[in-house]
Amino acid sequence: MSKFVAWIDERLPVSKFVKNHLSEYYAPKNFNFFYFFGSLALFVFIMQIVTGIFLTINYKPDAESAFASVEYIMRDVEWGWLIRYMHSTGASFFFIVIYLHMLRALMYGSYKKPRELLWLFGMFIFVLLMAEAFMGYLLPWGQMSYWGAQVIISLFGAIPFIGESLALWIRGDYVISDATLNRFFAFHVIALPLLLFGVIYLHIAALHTVGSNNPDGVEIKANKNPDGSPVDGIPFHPYYTVKDIFGLAVFLTIFMFVVFFMPEFGGFFLEKDNFVPADPLKTPEHIVPVWYFTPFYAILRAIPDKLGGVIAMGLAIFVLFLMPWIDRCKVKSIRYRSLTFKVLLTSFVVSFIGLGYIGMQAPTPILTALGRLFTFIYFGFFIALYFTSKNEKTKPVPERVTMHG
Amino acid sequence: MVRGLIFLISTFCVSISSYGASSDIALKPVIIDLGNKQSLQRGAQIFFNNCSGCHTLKYHRYSKLVGDLGISEQMVKDNLILTTNNGEKTKLGSLIINSINPDAIKEVFGVIPPDLTLTARSRGSEWIFTFLTSFYEDESRPMGVNNMLYPNVNMPHVLWYKEGLKTLDENNQLITKVQGQLSHKEYEKEITDLVNFLTYVSEPAQLERYTIGFWVILFLVFFAFITYLLKIEYWRDIK
Amino acid sequence: MTENSNSQKRRKFLTNLTKVVGGVGGIFALIPFLSTMSPSEKTKMAGAPIEIDISAITPGTFKIVEWRGKPVWVVHRTPEMLDIISKDVNYLADPESNNEQQPEYAQNKYRSVKPEFLVLLGVCTHLGCSPLYKPGENKDLGLEWKGGFFCPCHGSKFDLSGRVFKGMPAGTNLEVPPYYFASDTKLIVGEDRAS
Repeated sequence: MSKFVAWIDERLPVSKFVKNHLSEYYAPKNFNFFYFFGSLALFVFIMQIVTGIFLTINYKPDAESAFASVEYIMRDVEWGWLIRYMHSTGASFFFIVIYLHMLRALMYGSYKKPRELLWLFGMFIFVLLMAEAFMGYLLPWGQMSYWGAQVIISLFGAIPFIGESLALWIRGDYVISDATLNRFFAFHVIALPLLLFGVIYLHIAALHTVGSNNPDGVEIKANKNPDGSPVDGIPFHPYYTVKDIFGLAVFLTIFMFVVFFMPEFGGFFLEKDNFVPADPLKTPEHIVPVWYFTPFYAILRAIPDKLGGVIAMGLAIFVLFLMPWIDRCKVKSIRYRSLTFKVLLTSFVVSFIGLGYIGMQAPTPILTALGRLFTFIYFGFFIALYFTSKNEKTKPVPERVTMHG
Repeated sequence: MVRGLIFLISTFCVSISSYGASSDIALKPVIIDLGNKQSLQRGAQIFFNNCSGCHTLKYHRYSKLVGDLGISEQMVKDNLILTTNNGEKTKLGSLIINSINPDAIKEVFGVIPPDLTLTARSRGSEWIFTFLTSFYEDESRPMGVNNMLYPNVNMPHVLWYKEGLKTLDENNQLITKVQGQLSHKEYEKEITDLVNFLTYVSEPAQLERYTIGFWVILFLVFFAFITYLLKIEYWRDIK
Repeated sequence: MTENSNSQKRRKFLTNLTKVVGGVGGIFALIPFLSTMSPSEKTKMAGAPIEIDISAITPGTFKIVEWRGKPVWVVHRTPEMLDIISKDVNYLADPESNNEQQPEYAQNKYRSVKPEFLVLLGVCTHLGCSPLYKPGENKDLGLEWKGGFFCPCHGSKFDLSGRVFKGMPAGTNLEVPPYYFASDTKLIVGEDRAS
C-alpha cells in the first residue's frame, strides 16, 4: 500500500495535501455547536448536486411538460419521490444551515482581520445560493414558481432607464415563459453549480490560509508549541473529522425525518399552490417567495416606493458584505464585548426573524408597520454598530481559549 | 414603470375575480386511512363511475392502481377503465384522461372541469370532503345548485342521487329537502372513501414512505449513537 | 499503561464499528440511486405484452404490430407454404433452429406454436434493418427461392419460417418473441403462457 502511495506522491502531492489540510491542519480545540455548520453546508451542497443530477435524468425543462415530468418522477420513476423530496428538503435545509453558519460569524467576529476575504467569499456564496434557489424554484412550473418569478423579475423593471430592457433580457420574453424556463434550467443545473463550486473552493482555501476563528475570538497561532503547532490547536483529523461525522449523523436524522414524514413541512418547503400547474391567466390569492427569502421580501414591501423597495432589499444584502469595515471593534467574540453589542446583535436577529414572519403574510396595516419597524432595526444594527464599535467597552480577552463545552 | 404598475394591478384584479375563492366556512374533518385498501378501492370505483367523465387524473396511471389498491390487472381493466381509444379499450399503461371536448364542455359549464390528481395536496383532503358535502339548492344558478365552500361553483351536484338535495332555511341553515339513496352517515362514509382515494392519488408515495422512514430513522439514531461513542473516545485526549 | 492499550483497543473497535455500520448505511443509501435508473412505470407499461387480433389476417398475408419499439410480424401461412417448409433442404444455415433465437415451443421446422401462424420479430439479425416479405417464387432472389423474407440492406435471405440461408451476412434465424394463443383469434406477444 505504501508503495502505491509513494508512486502517487511522486506525481501528485496527495500525502502532503492530507497533512496540510487534515492531519496537521490545526483548528482551535474549543469549537462549539455553531461550528458544525460549515461541514454540514458542504455536505448539503454535494447532496443537492447528486440528487439534482438524478432529477435531471427525468425532468423536462419545457413549459408544456415540466410540471408533468415532476409528477412522473414522483410516481413512475423508481424512488423518484425520495430523490425529489431530498432535493426540495435539501434546498430549505441548505438555508437553515447557512443562516446558522453566518450567525456564528456575526457572534464570534469571524469576518474580522485577517478573515475579511473569507467573509467576502462567504457572502458571495450566499448571493449565488439565493440565485440558485430562485432559479431552481421556477423549474417545477407550478403557480408559485411562475408568479413568484414574475414578481421578482418585474422588480428589475423598477430600475430607471435600463429596467424594462433588463427584465426583458433576463426573461428572454415579454412575460415569464418557456424561454425563461429553459435558461433558468441551464443556469441552475450547470452555470451556478460550477460557480458555487469555485467560490466554495476559494472560501475553504482562504480559511486554511489564516486558520479558523473560535468562540473566544482568540488567535491560536499567537501561542505556539516548540514544534510550531498552536498550543490551543488540535489536528483537524482525527478530532474534527470524528466530531463532524457525529454532527452529520444527527443532522441526517433530523433531515431524513422531514424527508420521510413531513416533506411539505406545513407548506413551507413545498408550497400548496405549487401543486397547481402554472397559469399565466390566474394569479394566486397570495404570492410569497419561499420562506428563506421572506426577510428580504419583507424589507422590499416595507418601502412604499417600488424602486425604493428594490434598493432597500439590495442594500440589506450588500451591507452584510461591509461587516469587516463597519465593525471597528478589535475584540472579536461576543463573549468579551459590551452589553451594547449584545443588545444590537440580538435585536438584529430578532428583526431578521420578525421580517421573515411578516414576509410570509398578506400585508395588513399592523404588519406593514411592524415590517417598517424591523427594517429600521435591521439597518439600525449596522449604523449603530459603526459608531459604537469604535470605542467599545470590552472585557479583557484571555490569552488562551476557554473550554465552555 | 407605469406599465409595470398597471400590469401588477390588473393581475391582482384578475386574481380576485376568477380564482374561485373559498368562502370562510370551517372545513369539516375527515379521517384519511391510506392503509385501508378496501376504502381506496371503493373510492376508486366511486370516482370512475361518477367523476371521471368530466375530471381527469392525468398525472396518474391505471397500472399503478393494481399494486397500490391491491387488485388484479383484470379488475382494473373491467371496473375502472371506462374509456376507449380508437375502438379499443384504453390500455392499462395509460394516464387517466378522458375524451371530453374542452370547447363543448366549457360552453355547458362555463369552465373546463379541473384535473383532480393533485387537488388533495393543493386544497387538502378536508377541503374536498367539505366541498362534496356542502352543495345546496339554488334556483338562481344555471346548474340549480350552489356550494357553501365554493360560492357560485360551476359544477352540478353530480352525487345528488346519493346525498339528496339540501336547501337553505330562513336562518341560512342547511336542511334536507330531498332524500337521496343514502342516509347522511352512509353518504359521508362514501365521500370519505372517495377523499381517501383522491388523497392517495395526490401522493402515492405516502403508501411507502412512512414505513421506509421508520427504518431509516432507526438506523440513523443507532449510527448517531455509535459516532457519539467514537467522538467522546477520541476527545478524551483533549483537555 | 493498560489504560492506554485499552483505550487504543476501544478506539480501534469503535472506528471499525463506525466504518462497518456507516458502510452498510452507505450501501443501503446507494440502492435508490441505482434502482432509479431502471425502467420507469411508463416504460414498463409501454413494453408490456400486446394483444393481437389475428382473425382478419387472410392466408398468405401478414400483420405488423409494434412491440418494444420493434415490428412484430404475424404471418398466416398457406398449406402450400407449410408444405414447402416441411421439406428438408440444404441451403439453410440452421434448419433445426439449434441457435436460441426462439422459445422452446417454437423450436421446430415451422418455428411456431401453430404451423399456420408464424410470429417473428421483423428485425434482420445482421444489423437490424427490417426485411421485406417475399412469398412465392422470385427470379431475382434465385432459383431456389420458394418464398420467405429478404433484407434489402445487405441481401440476407430467410425462408418462410424465418430461417437464415447459408452464406448470408446474417448469421442466425430471425428471432421469435415469446407468445401464446389466448384464444383462436387472440395472440399475446411478449410473454409465455401462464407467467
